[in-house]
Amino acid sequence: MKRRDFLKHITMVSISMPIFIEASLKTDDTDIKTQNIGKKRRFRVKYHFDIKYDEPNFPARLWNPMPYNAPWQNVRILKFNGNYDNFNINDDNSYDVNILYARWNKSNRAKVLDIEMEIETKYREVPLNLIQKASKQNLPIPKEVEKFLEPTEHIPTNGKIAQKAQELTKGIDDRFQKVKAIYDWVTEITFRDPKVIGCGTGDAKKMIESGYFGGKCTDISSLFVALLRVAGVPAREVFGIRLGKSYYSKALGKSDNRGFANISTWQHCRAEYYIPGIGWIPSDPADITKLELVENLKYSDPKVQELKKRYLHSWEMNWVGFNWGRDFVLSPKPEQFPINMLGYPYAEVDDEALNYYVPSSFSYTISSQEL
Amino acid sequence: MKRVILIIVTVFSYLQATKIATISIEGMTCPLCATAIKRSLKRCDGVIKAKVRLNTKSAKVEYKESTTEQTLLKAIKRVGYSGKIVSVESMD
Repeated sequence: MKRRDFLKHITMVSISMPIFIEASLKTDDTDIKTQNIGKKRRFRVKYHFDIKYDEPNFPARLWNPMPYNAPWQNVRILKFNGNYDNFNINDDNSYDVNILYARWNKSNRAKVLDIEMEIETKYREVPLNLIQKASKQNLPIPKEVEKFLEPTEHIPTNGKIAQKAQELTKGIDDRFQKVKAIYDWVTEITFRDPKVIGCGTGDAKKMIESGYFGGKCTDISSLFVALLRVAGVPAREVFGIRLGKSYYSKALGKSDNRGFANISTWQHCRAEYYIPGIGWIPSDPADITKLELVENLKYSDPKVQELKKRYLHSWEMNWVGFNWGRDFVLSPKPEQFPINMLGYPYAEVDDEALNYYVPSSFSYTISSQEL
Repeated sequence: MKRVILIIVTVFSYLQATKIATISIEGMTCPLCATAIKRSLKRCDGVIKAKVRLNTKSAKVEYKESTTEQTLLKAIKRVGYSGKIVSVESMD
């Protein structure tokens, strides 16, 4: 897919997206946490790549995840340039993940790419009463969504995952009630383990089989997604990056007093589940655990419980989503595949993947300026 | 004299037979696992070449006869994975 086609494609997606309900500000909710709930936010996001390797003379290939367009997030401007020998923008993979690909031939010269985007976001919430109403209708799951009921290598739907999902949803017929039962359990049993590298590998099988429920956002979201799939609710992780200040807590995103933030390590995985008749619903069980850890709060704390209530069906949009691909093959095909997830830039020198968890060695920087 | 010894050692090491081991690896979850294993294998004395593949969860290692398969498995274990020798071929 050429750059022009990509831009055409993302514009079309934003026009044709059928289901989006404006965030509603509750009149009894007057605290500072919600003061900007209906406001559009704009961020100028800049990537700078200067690919490094142990030897001076090397080739390199880079696959960078790009945001998708939707009513709650829109790439208004996209510019990029660099000294690559070849590039393309494509979504040629099984999850239609948008990728900016660049290739540098073997040489001694620096390998540089700059990307600049202006991204507009809007608080995303699907009202509970509409979800409940749609769920009660028990409509069939559309064919194009059935894929999100299937297992992947890291999201199994058998063994202990299946046992736990059956135990949690025993006697519940309504899809949304199943989601709530699973969400309650996941948010309570999991905790943020700061020792986990990056966002975690999102290995739901390992988590449930080991009985160790410490992890980071991909681990916690993957557990949530795997349990929902077993319960017959289509679900997926959504990989993206925080862009700036959260109005709810500094734990969930911050910036300096001019709205600037170095976001190189701010990748964050959220989740979505699907209720026929209303569509994909945003959720973020992992940020409940981050709030607990960073603010040193108990699960029962009112601030944690309030966020838990919100993140069953909303996202604060100081974040932009890239994709929901799991265990898939990038295009052009890398030497190493399938890729577990694409929330970070991915690059290879010959058959070696560069360490995307350490931006300074890779190397890349990502910054965001709220406008 | 030192120069002669150095030449003999170099020639001997080139003449030494090499082997290729295919190793299946457990615990790989992402491309970075492949990089970590490859680098650990290449740090072993006697390893000439190592290729690690995520899709097959396996490694192909070319090494000098003086290096043991146990050394290769230890190198894999050192970075948190477990390896099993599938086959060893002599390349002489």
